[in-house]
Amino acid sequence: MATLAYRRFAFAYAAAFALFYAVAHARGLALFTVYPSQAIVLLGTHRSRDVADPVLDFLAPEMYWYGWTAFAAVGALIIGLVAALLPDRLCGFWACCAWVVPPLAMIACVYLTIPWFRL
Amino acid sequence: MLLILHGLVAVALLGAITHQTLAACASPRAKPLSLFGRFRAVPGAGFTNAIVVLYLVSALLGAVVYLYFKVDLQPNLERDRHWHALGFFDLKEDFVAIGLGVLPAYWFCWRRPFDSENRQARVALTLLLAFIVWWAFLVGHVINNIGGFGS
Repeated sequence: MATLAYRRFAFAYAAAFALFYAVAHARGLALFTVYPSQAIVLLGTHRSRDVADPVLDFLAPEMYWYGWTAFAAVGALIIGLVAALLPDRLCGFWACCAWVVPPLAMIACVYLTIPWFRL
Repeated sequence: MLLILHGLVAVALLGAITHQTLAACASPRAKPLSLFGRFRAVPGAGFTNAIVVLYLVSALLGAVVYLYFKVDLQPNLERDRHWHALGFFDLKEDFVAIGLGVLPAYWFCWRRPFDSENRQARVALTLLLAFIVWWAFLVGHVINNIGGFGS
């Protein structure tokens, strides 16, 4: 019984994590923002160019990757726990989502990275 | 020091995931005593825990090294207009994060490797992780040596 619940949790977690990560990346939904040069972590998404001249951006480069990952992990944990409580007949659906959604999220990330290749 | 450790863990991870992927996907018709036959004949399930641990350690080390990269190296790469390299590195971050989310399902699928119910998911998730690990390794290697590229 616990094994079946873990199975539903693991498959739903994989799919939800990938989906939430792509959404966080696309919409800028970081749980926190890291400023490595100042060793500061701020809750939520912050952009230094919103409060300082963009030409000074290099003085306080911000990092969202940690915040996106944390956002996806928290969101996926919730979805995974809900899936663990649902009936086992949905397990096939979650198993399918677990290996279909991550590649789609990766393709979305490629799309979001295209601006680097246009410079 | 951290970067070298990150690289060494990545090499171990690359070897393990490549063995497992071939064991999971390659045709069993290879001659049993050939190099390829022996390579793919390795019991894939034996690598699972090692791959999960190595992936987590490698991602953790990479997350620490990334802080130094952002402050010390990225401004130089931007100044030298290595936009494609930065784009590929961004993708590496994204793929590695998505791989982290896949790990629990991957571990579950390999817990009972002879269970035919999970076979499709097992092969697909192993292939996905192998792609992510190879991508991360190659991009990390290129970024690490980018000073010598095109010079």
